[in-house]
Amino acid sequence: MKSLHIISFIVALVYFSSCQKVITVDLNSTDPRYVIEANVVDGQPSNFVHITRTVNFDQDNVFPTVSGALVIITDKTTSLADTLKETVAGLYSTSKIVGISGHNYTLYVKADNHVFTSSAIMPEKIEIDTMYTSISGFRGEINIIPEYNDPAEKGNYYQFAKYVNGVETADIYIRNDNLINGQTIRQPLNARGPDSKLNPGDVVRIDLNCIDSATYQYFFTLQQTKNQNSASPANPATNITGGALGYFSVHTMDSKIIVLPK
Amino acid sequence: MINNLLPNRFLGFVLGLFLVLTSVPAVAQKFTVSGTIKDKKTGEVLIGGTIAVADSPALGAVSNEYGFYSLTIPKGHYRLIFRYISYKDQPQEVDLSKNVKLDIFAEPAERELSEVVVSSKANHVKSAQMGMTELKIQDIKALPVLFGERDVMKIVQLLPGIKSVGDGGSGFYVRGGAADQNLILLDEAVVYNPSHLLGFFSTFNSDALKDITLYKGTAPARYGGRLSSVMDVKMNDGNDQSYHVSGGIGLISSKLNVEGPIKKDEGSFLISARRTYADVFLKLSNDTSINKSKLYFYDLNTKLNYKLSKKDRLFLSGYFGKDELGLGTTFGINWGNATGTLRWNHLISDRLFSNTSLILSDYSYNINVNNSGISANIHSEIRDWNLKEEIDFFSNPKNSIKFGLSSIYHTITPGNITGTGITSNTQPDKLTWENAIYLSNSWKSKTRLNIDYGIRLSSFSVLGGSNLYDLDAAGQVKDTLKYTSGQIVQTYVIPEPRISASYLLNESSSIKGGYSRNSQYLHLISNSTASNPTDKWVGSNNIIKPEIADQLSLGYFKSLKNNHYELIAETYYKNMQNQVDYRDGANVFTNDAIEPKLLFGQGRAYGLELQFSKTSGKFTGWISYTLARTEIQISGINNSKWYPAKQDRTHDLSVVGIYQVSKKWTLSGTFVYYTGNAVSFPSGKYNVANQTLFLYTERNGYRMPAYHRFDIGATKQLAHKKHFTSEISFSVYNAYGRENPYFITFQDDPNNPNKTQALQTSLFRFVPSVSYNFKF
Repeated sequence: MKSLHIISFIVALVYFSSCQKVITVDLNSTDPRYVIEANVVDGQPSNFVHITRTVNFDQDNVFPTVSGALVIITDKTTSLADTLKETVAGLYSTSKIVGISGHNYTLYVKADNHVFTSSAIMPEKIEIDTMYTSISGFRGEINIIPEYNDPAEKGNYYQFAKYVNGVETADIYIRNDNLINGQTIRQPLNARGPDSKLNPGDVVRIDLNCIDSATYQYFFTLQQTKNQNSASPANPATNITGGALGYFSVHTMDSKIIVLPK
Repeated sequence: MINNLLPNRFLGFVLGLFLVLTSVPAVAQKFTVSGTIKDKKTGEVLIGGTIAVADSPALGAVSNEYGFYSLTIPKGHYRLIFRYISYKDQPQEVDLSKNVKLDIFAEPAERELSEVVVSSKANHVKSAQMGMTELKIQDIKALPVLFGERDVMKIVQLLPGIKSVGDGGSGFYVRGGAADQNLILLDEAVVYNPSHLLGFFSTFNSDALKDITLYKGTAPARYGGRLSSVMDVKMNDGNDQSYHVSGGIGLISSKLNVEGPIKKDEGSFLISARRTYADVFLKLSNDTSINKSKLYFYDLNTKLNYKLSKKDRLFLSGYFGKDELGLGTTFGINWGNATGTLRWNHLISDRLFSNTSLILSDYSYNINVNNSGISANIHSEIRDWNLKEEIDFFSNPKNSIKFGLSSIYHTITPGNITGTGITSNTQPDKLTWENAIYLSNSWKSKTRLNIDYGIRLSSFSVLGGSNLYDLDAAGQVKDTLKYTSGQIVQTYVIPEPRISASYLLNESSSIKGGYSRNSQYLHLISNSTASNPTDKWVGSNNIIKPEIADQLSLGYFKSLKNNHYELIAETYYKNMQNQVDYRDGANVFTNDAIEPKLLFGQGRAYGLELQFSKTSGKFTGWISYTLARTEIQISGINNSKWYPAKQDRTHDLSVVGIYQVSKKWTLSGTFVYYTGNAVSFPSGKYNVANQTLFLYTERNGYRMPAYHRFDIGATKQLAHKKHFTSEISFSVYNAYGRENPYFITFQDDPNNPNKTQALQTSLFRFVPSVSYNFKF
């Protein structure tokens, strides 16, 4: 205690040893729930509704399809209603209902006495003006830049689908115009998962989908669910009433393809 | 209604008690002996030292936070004894025929290295105080630590009722409270985010600290603003006798301390700095996304004090810390706390001690994004200005009264976005004003009863200038309410009574009981599994109501074998109002209105805490065990049924042992075991767009696997001379390499796409460290 002249020299054999292992977690089983994926897309010859069910965690990744459901999509703007035909088990299609910007569509599904409904308005169509690549300064990866003009009026929501050599990647790319309203947008689509990494020679297709705010909310919460880092994880916010999972997306679509030079 | 009536009646009762107990009839002529208690060698003042009359130990006084004591007793000649743990008992003859000024210069007792681990300055058995622990930095040196950083926030987690948030987090849970319900003070200033490096280290550099007091039960009325606990950390004052430099160099961090007198016996200064360079390790990685990253923190503690006159002393203390994390030039985030405290001690009379403090607390973070011509900056901050006044009235040996007030002006900048290529989004600062007055007394009877009681009356005013919202039944924004700047929109007033009493059963055992009410007006919004620098503090407003907790506790205290052993058993029941949880899938990171993302309800926590300690001898240590439950009920979550809070832990066990093998060798070990946190796991899965998604059916319906870990440490004294001592310490954290889960995620099995699996990520296994220290 005479003097407090301390020089401490720490020789540390320190390593951050983070490690991963597969464990068994005893998860409860749960009653199956309906999962509805319904799309009305502009410029498509047919539109589809896919109905499946959930399974327990320990079961195989085989998701039962729901057949014999009554599926009706109505274009409220033109008062045209169509009952969809089940072409493959659980997959219902229509070629009468076509997507037109500004039209209001409703979805009605009745399966085993459960009724699910939704409605949405197709947003204004925005196209990709030009598409090119950039190299990320940080990781040196190839990114795609779909350039487009955000309209002057606020409230546009975008979702991008990315296909590498014909295979859709698992990335969720969504944007709104809260901070970038009315500008020419040159934000790159960064490669995220391993299936999304680009190599010279790849053929890349980008779909620019203009979605409504409820569908944006669905994709936003889907992203959170997939990240699995929330303290209160939950199922994505659906715009379908009646207790089904999934979404009813009424959107425009513009595709562009780019071939990466070898 | 009942909840509101109770305190008012209680208030009347307390005020009545004050009048009865403090009006002691003036029979004999009395005089006061008063002064400051200091360490003889360093000039550091000693907090909680006792001065008592040798033949009549009930006649005594305890030194306050600034080392000041005052004892008023009848005229006469006395032999007083000064006592303080790990210091020599010091008798002092006093002729009390007038008021006497008597400063005490205490001499440290010669003692074996690390003989006492947890020292109790106050006698646990006699004092009415419950649920309190004090740690002196000197006494925790022998414990094994992670990366050689002696982190006080990790060490308090070994005490009963205090639970670690887990590996990679420096937060803790006290008696079922959430991590934001702890009032963490550094020289009176609130530290809003006490963690560095995403929670691996705390902001407290133990080299600069003097002691830590933790209240998990009934805290004295001078503290307020948080529901669960108070962790009061005090910095060293600096040596006012001679200059000293100390430091440390390590692979994780380096430290430097300078202290010395400004003028001998009159004032001193202390500067302590620390910086880590964990980012050096990142450079070693082959992965370009890792080796272009930066990751470090630094912090600086300073303190000055100067005696202006015999009656006045000024203290200025400051803390500044910053973390930097960056990924190349595309992304960067920095965050840090800054605190400053200016204090003025003034002796109004021999018996009236006043302290006035002006305190600044600040926490902010900045995020920079630079990508493809867009550069954006997000800035968020909470800043408090606090003016406090506290008076200690050393009325008589039976009563020691404290009263005071505090006024805090909070400014919260919610998260302003600016930059080029984007539309700026800035929102007006949220302004609030928190006030409190309090009065408390510690009453000692000549018989077996001691009572501490007091009341704190707190208020919180929401000031206009920023947007407030009106929500519809579904919780969505119905209307935006605008109030002019400076206008008081709403004021909450909450009386917070507290009382605790001890009754001595015999010389070595006592029972205690206590009740307290606490309120909390600021809430931390954090919806991620890890500690996050972007967690936000929000103030109460028209929708977010102040949290209120009422706690009842009962305890049994016993010392055995001449104080060599100590047994403490405490139980508590806590009822909490206006608890906050998140709506399903709430995104709290944006700067939209936060209110629609929150749900409110009630909480309850109860438990039993046992601690058995051996406080002296070659072998010292303790075993602590907590059996507890914490539940929340919120309409809108889990069908409005009670569900376990994240921090609910059924069992929590810590075993700490230190063994002095020989004059040279000391061995130490700690073992912890606790039930895993309550978490939300999926109960099913489904497929959308050819991807497997997981189905969640209930909040906190599952448990993480139990956590356990054993750490071991050994210290060898190499040289022990008058002007030079040195020692070498070894420790292994998680010595048997238990893979404790940091998080668990679910995914498709990469080897069998037809199956899904659970993947556990663990952090620290076998982390050895060696350190060499020398002093001269």
